[in-house]
Amino acid sequence: MWAFAASVPSLLGRNPWPLLMALFAAIAVRVAWSEHMSSEASWSLFLRVALFFSIVGVIFNVLTVRAGDRVLAALPESIPLIGGDITLNAAFFGVLSGLALVSLVIVGSTMAGLLDWSAVVRLLPDGLTNIAVAGSIAFAFVPQTAISFREIREAQSARGHRVRGARDLLPILMPMIGGGLERSITLAEALESRGFGAAASGSASERRWPAFLAAIGLAAVAISIYLMASGHLLVAGISAVSGLVSLFLVALSGRNAAIHRTRYRVPIWSWRDTGVSVGAAISLLMTLIVLETNPSALRYEPYPRLTVPVVDVVLLAGLLGLFVPVLIAPQSENR
Amino acid sequence: MSIEIAPSITGVSFDGVHFGYGSSGQAVLRNIDWQIDEGEFVVVAGESGSGKSTLLRCLNGLVPHFSGGRFGGSVVVNGFDTKQHGPRALSTSVGFVFQDPDSQRVAAIVEDELAFGMEQLGIARMTMRKRVEETLDLLGIADLRDREMETLSGGERQRVAVAAALTLQPRILVLDEPTSQLDPWGAEDVVAALERLNHDLGLTVIMSEHRLERVIGTADRLHVLIVGGTSIDGSPRGVLMQLDENLLPPVARIGRALEWSPLPLTIKEGRAAIRGMTSLPVSPSTRVDHSGGKPVVELRGLRASYGKRTVLKEIDLQIRPGEVIALMGRNGSGKTTLLRSIMGFQRPVRGTVLVKGVDVTSDDPADIGRSVGYLAQRPGAMLFNETVSAELAFSARHHPGHARDLDEILEALELEELRNRNPRDLSAGEQERTALAAVLIANPSLLLLDEPTRGMDSRRKRALARFIMDRKREGVAVIIATHDVELVAETATRVVIIGAGEVVADGPPRDVLSGSLTYTTQMNKLFGLDFLTVDDVLLGFGLHS
Repeated sequence: MWAFAASVPSLLGRNPWPLLMALFAAIAVRVAWSEHMSSEASWSLFLRVALFFSIVGVIFNVLTVRAGDRVLAALPESIPLIGGDITLNAAFFGVLSGLALVSLVIVGSTMAGLLDWSAVVRLLPDGLTNIAVAGSIAFAFVPQTAISFREIREAQSARGHRVRGARDLLPILMPMIGGGLERSITLAEALESRGFGAAASGSASERRWPAFLAAIGLAAVAISIYLMASGHLLVAGISAVSGLVSLFLVALSGRNAAIHRTRYRVPIWSWRDTGVSVGAAISLLMTLIVLETNPSALRYEPYPRLTVPVVDVVLLAGLLGLFVPVLIAPQSENR
Repeated sequence: MSIEIAPSITGVSFDGVHFGYGSSGQAVLRNIDWQIDEGEFVVVAGESGSGKSTLLRCLNGLVPHFSGGRFGGSVVVNGFDTKQHGPRALSTSVGFVFQDPDSQRVAAIVEDELAFGMEQLGIARMTMRKRVEETLDLLGIADLRDREMETLSGGERQRVAVAAALTLQPRILVLDEPTSQLDPWGAEDVVAALERLNHDLGLTVIMSEHRLERVIGTADRLHVLIVGGTSIDGSPRGVLMQLDENLLPPVARIGRALEWSPLPLTIKEGRAAIRGMTSLPVSPSTRVDHSGGKPVVELRGLRASYGKRTVLKEIDLQIRPGEVIALMGRNGSGKTTLLRSIMGFQRPVRGTVLVKGVDVTSDDPADIGRSVGYLAQRPGAMLFNETVSAELAFSARHHPGHARDLDEILEALELEELRNRNPRDLSAGEQERTALAAVLIANPSLLLLDEPTRGMDSRRKRALARFIMDRKREGVAVIIATHDVELVAETATRVVIIGAGEVVADGPPRDVLSGSLTYTTQMNKLFGLDFLTVDDVLLGFGLHS
């Protein structure tokens, strides 16, 4: 929930103030909870990739976008594609886009590092556990993929291979895909051998419905996030509600299963969890209210004129809710 | 504490089992008849590609339910026919442990991993807690319960995988090469745990294993698969008598060569046989060392670290042409880091790396690769071309001018018949050889091998040893990071043991290995003195192998 609230500013617009706020919140949380993080190292690869794309984005933007009132320099018009004025507007927009991307990655990695997936799996109702187990395994794949990427890159460069262009990525990507497939087959075998899915008994048609609904539900939620990012709030809302309803139905269907999954441990919901959720809920709510009353608060257009972005105090105050995890981080023992 | 036993019809029976992958593929198993009684400890052996994994997967219905393919005959496990009952239904009768401890785990914490299967089957919480406690104690991993899986060693992870399979209280435990990814100490822990489960609980254990010497003393039955789909089954001694000499553990090989009766299976049985002997072999002469000339590689005061953790401290090492150096030491002692530092993947904090007298400390790995060949721990991972020969050609293209002839390399590594096959479809051992070929075609003057015999059968291992000796004669310097003492005894001219990032021993194998407690061969344990290999002993008796 915190992750979702923190991602909204980056997804919805390019106004630098909320963006910076969300980024700072994410970094502050990381620092405060750093002792509880796991698998940080492998995420640094993704962060580097994000930074790389941000920089490429800035350069690309600067070289191709001609609009804007603050001209920095001019390339001769004779150069195709990149010839013309270089504007500060374009550079600024590129930097903001990069900022959005980087903060998304930091939010994602912070969540991956702090979230106890097995607890999430156990919090969810029966019908949804299959999805959650898949999610937790997918997250476990991230560090493994980073390790195999390093291994393959080293093995290929020892053979004299150098990455100079996009085509040279083939010798690295192919073994990664192949290896990933092989690993997933072993994992599927292991899951099968350990009785995973045994709870979903009943006739074939009875089993098909929940699966179908789950697919629809997940798709609808994904679509609604996209729609929200592109500004179609009403449609996004409808889509999100229908998605959640179908997921709820899946959850209900779990109750009729012949065998009920049981939970080894009941996760303890602490006051910290409540704090984080309330903080995130407040910031999400404020963001929505602001969006309703002043739809342009999150957006920012540096074209055609470079202006100082609008500061929306209510919005920024709402985003303060994202800092709640920092305040309630457990004191480390050596302090 | 013990796990309750549900009374049921136990045991396994295979009746005329026939199986081939795909609809028209070649048969992997042909007409297998096999009976396993309750409480037996069965070892399945055979060359790589002989169908061991397929056979084991028949036991819990993964074949044919998961694999597809053509399946004939019947497998009955604990009274269930696997044609009607798939792996999910059999999960309470048969526990299955896979080769790689990493790709079978589902949870982040040890305790959760153990509970996973039980949660799926809806077992009550109190029962779960009790079974988790019992299983943790049974495998001696109670102190690991709260640990994250990532922080465990390979041997610990594999014992957790065994424990996770046991919480469903199966009567049969099937393990597909559970020790092949582990160091010798981890492997010993796992085998000891299995032995205890078999003895104390009467659990039926069926496992495949390449290094017979590890398990042969424990096994009640040995089942050897022959490439092509048939098999030999019987008591370990009986089966070893019929096997090809190359597949035997050293003790059995010397026993057969000297016509000892009964054939010794373990060091203890071998010692008993020696006590009855009238003459002892003559101590071997020191191996003549042909190496010489300017060092191919030289490390000066090398220091390397990951973040704040120092892995290598002040390593000084010189390697000359024709030297074969065995780099030994516990996991995490810095063997791989040393190899990666030479290759330029790991930049040293201090010190220099010289290849052929030139400082390459800050060179690009692709440039260092011109004179140094490097084979990583999972060599299969680098293969991506459509055919084996295209894979070799890819390497050759990057080394214009000094690449070797493709056909010559294919022949040297017994790959001619596979040249048009897709590397991804080959067995692990075949992939390993393809990767080795792809490295050797660049004609390196220094070869770095990281655990090359991991998961390799003994025939292939001896072929690799011969191959290393051929390169040595050509003047190539070789560094092998390995735990495999038998390989070291057969090939190395020098053994370097690394402990906590420092060189703790450096010298000829006879000096370093003889009399060592952990780093020595079966022959040295039997005959002591300077004997290391079966050939040493046979020569000492005036016999030629």
